[in-house]
Amino acid sequence: MTQASLFRQITDFANRANPYPLYAELRKTPVLHEEEDGPYVISSYWDIEALLHDPRISSDAANLAAAGTDALAQAEETGGLPPSFIRLDPPEHDRLRRIANQGFGPPHRPRRIENMRGELGPIVNGLFDGLADKRQFDLVDEFAYPFPVTVICRLLGVPRDDEPKFRAWVDPLVASLDPDTRENPDADFVKAAQEARMQLGMYLAGLVEERAKEPREDLLSDLVNSEGPDGSMTMMEVLSTAVLLLIAGHETTVNLITNGMLTLLRHPEVLERLRGDPGLSVRIVEELLRYEPPVQIVPQRTCIADIEVRGVTIPKGARIWLMLAAGNRDPERFTDPERFDPDRGDIQHLGFGSGIHSCFGAPLARLETQIALSELARRLENPRLVEDPPPYRPNAVLRGPRHLEIAFDGLR
Amino acid sequence: MRLVVDLNKCQGYAQCAFLAPDVFAMHGEESLVYNPHAPEEQRERLARAVAACPVQAITADGLDGTGEQGTGSAQEAHDAR
Repeated sequence: MTQASLFRQITDFANRANPYPLYAELRKTPVLHEEEDGPYVISSYWDIEALLHDPRISSDAANLAAAGTDALAQAEETGGLPPSFIRLDPPEHDRLRRIANQGFGPPHRPRRIENMRGELGPIVNGLFDGLADKRQFDLVDEFAYPFPVTVICRLLGVPRDDEPKFRAWVDPLVASLDPDTRENPDADFVKAAQEARMQLGMYLAGLVEERAKEPREDLLSDLVNSEGPDGSMTMMEVLSTAVLLLIAGHETTVNLITNGMLTLLRHPEVLERLRGDPGLSVRIVEELLRYEPPVQIVPQRTCIADIEVRGVTIPKGARIWLMLAAGNRDPERFTDPERFDPDRGDIQHLGFGSGIHSCFGAPLARLETQIALSELARRLENPRLVEDPPPYRPNAVLRGPRHLEIAFDGLR
Repeated sequence: MRLVVDLNKCQGYAQCAFLAPDVFAMHGEESLVYNPHAPEEQRERLARAVAACPVQAITADGLDGTGEQGTGSAQEAHDAR
């Protein structure tokens, strides 16, 4: 029996807890193409960085569907809601992202995220109140999940109490981003993901209609009432954008906070420094985005021309996987890349991607994680891991622990 | 505190304008406007902006002058060039 191909090992759950030795293997063949219909896998920092800025690389769901092997992309193409800007190329991408940004950041709303800083502390305190009588808790279910979900609900204007309802639709959608299910989808699964997207869209439609009549201080109101040189979004575009932001606001920050606390518990000297110096959280979060990024892979891009990378010609129409987390530990780019070191002089990373699709929610994710980690360091007395490594979620793209049990002696 | 943005490096990610909106502002889609003499009370926000710049285009003098929290990144960003 021969060993599974390197490509197959990426999605192999056996590599989930520590994929980094596999990524080191991948970097030995920085442009890897093992299966005829399979993607070209790119693993070195500078190549990934260049391709993220290359207009010949398409994010358009239609191109991915045309590549033929992605049944989910085909389903998304024919599904009810139009693709959101993460699955579009310029100029449609630019127009929708600019309009979405009007409600989120500069130049129109430079202070919306900064002004949420004061609201985040009380949310975190409320979560600690729930731990007061405990000596052990699951960081994922009791902190890292409810915190960003509460924040994204508040930002969008989605009632927090509806969370159990929309979680039932979010979960299959997130599962549909798992490359393993994308490579081997079954018909029921495709249908479930499509159905969930429609249901979530219809739920949000109710809220958006209310905001169209009576705007409030929230992002849904800004999305539906946008105006300016780019015009406004159609109702369907508003819903696609809202679905995107709600899901992205759920799944990625959860893993950044959880990976972060796991890393700090494995580096107790850094955790101890953070306890005395909350300002260190800024550098810790940047280094985490390099060392344990919550989005490990960008698996949904296609070439719209022949592209040469390190002497290999990637043909027009081929799919590309960009191995962000492998690039983040590329010794061509970083000194001592396998070391978690928030003091390194040149913390850069592909943790938020790069180029035109660079993470839209990055400023919010940074703020949430800086606050979450510095408060966990400050409040938990003698925190320690109960199980190392913890159990992981199946997904190789949005990688993170399913649970992270932490024992502690009390709250400060 | 004095600061310089290398506008050849700047790619318009606007992370600084999110994190220190009183020091950095986006003028339209891509051009950055900033105050090269940031007031002292912006120290902490400026340190966040320096750390968050994806292309490390911001250099700030005097960020670590008082040994306060979350600093040092500006000087190191400078050294890394």
